Amino acid sequence: MMQPMTPRRIIGVCAILASALFVAMVVSLRLGAYPMSVTSVVTTLYHGAIGQMDRIPSDFRLVIFGIRLPRIAMGIVVGASLAVAGAGFQSLLRNPLADPYVLGVSTGAALGAIISLIVAPHVPLAMQIAAFAGATATIAAVYFLGRRGGQLDSATLLLAGIISASFLSAVIMFLMTTLSGRDLRGMAFWLMGDLATPPQISISFLFVVMIAAVGAIYTTASDLNLILTGEQEARHLGVNVARVKIVVYISASLLTGLAVSVSGAIGYVGLLVPHVMRMMFGSDYRVLIPSSAFGGAIAIVLADTLARTVVAPTELPVGAMTAIVGAPVFIYLLRRRVR
Amino acid sequence: MSRSFHARQISFGTLTLAAMLFASPALLGRAATAETVRTTQVSAAAPVHSTRDSQIVVDETGRRVAVPADVRRIVSLAPNLTETIYALGAESRLAGDTDYCDVPAEARSKPHVGSPTSPSLEAIVGLKPDLVLASTSINRRETVDALEHLGVAVYATDPHTIDGLLAGIEHLAGILGIAQQGHELVTGLQARLAAIQTALAGQPHCRVLFVVWDDPLISIGPHTFIADALRRAGAESVVETTQDWPHVSLESIVHSQPDYLIFAGDHGDEIPQLSDLRARPVWRDLSAVKQGNIALMSGEVDRPSPGLIDAIESLAKQLHSSAFANSAGSAR
Repeated sequence: MMQPMTPRRIIGVCAILASALFVAMVVSLRLGAYPMSVTSVVTTLYHGAIGQMDRIPSDFRLVIFGIRLPRIAMGIVVGASLAVAGAGFQSLLRNPLADPYVLGVSTGAALGAIISLIVAPHVPLAMQIAAFAGATATIAAVYFLGRRGGQLDSATLLLAGIISASFLSAVIMFLMTTLSGRDLRGMAFWLMGDLATPPQISISFLFVVMIAAVGAIYTTASDLNLILTGEQEARHLGVNVARVKIVVYISASLLTGLAVSVSGAIGYVGLLVPHVMRMMFGSDYRVLIPSSAFGGAIAIVLADTLARTVVAPTELPVGAMTAIVGAPVFIYLLRRRVR
Repeated sequence: MSRSFHARQISFGTLTLAAMLFASPALLGRAATAETVRTTQVSAAAPVHSTRDSQIVVDETGRRVAVPADVRRIVSLAPNLTETIYALGAESRLAGDTDYCDVPAEARSKPHVGSPTSPSLEAIVGLKPDLVLASTSINRRETVDALEHLGVAVYATDPHTIDGLLAGIEHLAGILGIAQQGHELVTGLQARLAAIQTALAGQPHCRVLFVVWDDPLISIGPHTFIADALRRAGAESVVETTQDWPHVSLESIVHSQPDYLIFAGDHGDEIPQLSDLRARPVWRDLSAVKQGNIALMSGEVDRPSPGLIDAIESLAKQLHSSAFANSAGSAR
């Protein structure tokens, strides 16, 4: 089942996916409520790239550099984060149906973020840190609840995730009802997963954190491959299983917290993208992690393009698009596993 | 109901239910979630500084906005502001509005930028507005922030009372360079409000339940412009709350037994009829329903705009018909 994994193959897969991401970006840059031809998109980008901003009509500049590109960049950060977090949780919990959303981790991050908005609004990074804390605490709770007789049980784990998610959203509802205020309306959209709001912190900072966390998980890729065959065997082969688990646990929670703090709770990307990547490129983590990062980015960029355009000029939350596609596929995977 | 398709488009999962529950008043175009702490003095909206090309004004949410001295193209993100622009006779400068802007009917034919809660930023930018108008009564703060980030001038109104609404209209008119029209419009509206007050002098307040939504029951809090509109029409809400759009239990209504139930909406909305209410458990046992004391207000009451005064007049006449029968000659 495992193909020989050479750096060349990894680079090859990444190159293919990077090209696909580029195409998705071009499509996303071209489409939107403001009609722009391919030529004007290309000339705008060209003039922007060579620093001749003043030669671009101001509308084009705003639409491309002010609206669409930042949104695409956010989509890439969020999509890559969620997909790699999903792959990480799937390995950590040895459950192919694990995903930040299904496990309630996204909801935990959302609760953390909402608490930070109540307690410390306008404090830089407070929301990101609180979302990370919420994600970490939730996955710990779900992990604990999902054990039966000292063993992680697949069905119990998923149920624990679903129960945690509904409990946490009830807490969110309670907070929102008690603290009636102006932020509610934005919050309702944010809970759906929404990229329309630019983040309060710089996108390049988000990129750096995302790449660092993905990199951290990637350093454990070979060990994860061995753990996949059995923790006992991996230990015999000299893998520090506890350390690997902690690295994956922290990094995946960080990625979830990052994604949720930018876009709210977007479902199914973390579940489905690693699955599709496994089908396409095999389950070796050395290729699964980078391919999931690219795949997640492509998925969110395309989903958000749809969200922006299907009922334009009104916009849908991107989480609605991923769920419409994701939920049926999830059920399909679940049924196939049960059979 | 008429706008529920928005809810359907985004309907999935538990979170969605939560989201919809909270977003429902907003999606219905009925919300004015108030940040009650920040009731900015409207007088602060006066120009603070002006240069030849633009003036710095402070809007009703306390934001400083650089507004071009000569505003030629306006995009309105709220139905009440669209209506205000028409009432000021400045509709030729209205470059675009939202899918919900249907009063007056001509507003429908303006280019749309999407719904008030999730408009397309690029559609707004594409209309090259000199000024975008937003209202805390329906728009999201995030939309305003995003536009500001793009360098688009956004003036936001934050109406909580009728006086605040009227002062806001006059200030907006000043910013648009039509202070005279603003003054005339507001003076006219004030005169009509004064006539209602005169007619209602000595009348006891009617105890009412204002129904924003009937299932689940959502009513209004005291700090909303609707509560103020009710007071102007000689009515007082029986709902005691600190929230603006409280979910109210039916048993609290059984306990308080309002004199009148007030429903708001237009012909397009599904307003429950008296016969429907008489068939509903609990509702049918409310004394207001038994006596047929149901008042209908035009959907205008949901919008802090000049049309709100029409809604107040109509409600006052329904609740206190005797007062208007006596003073019909003098008031009109």
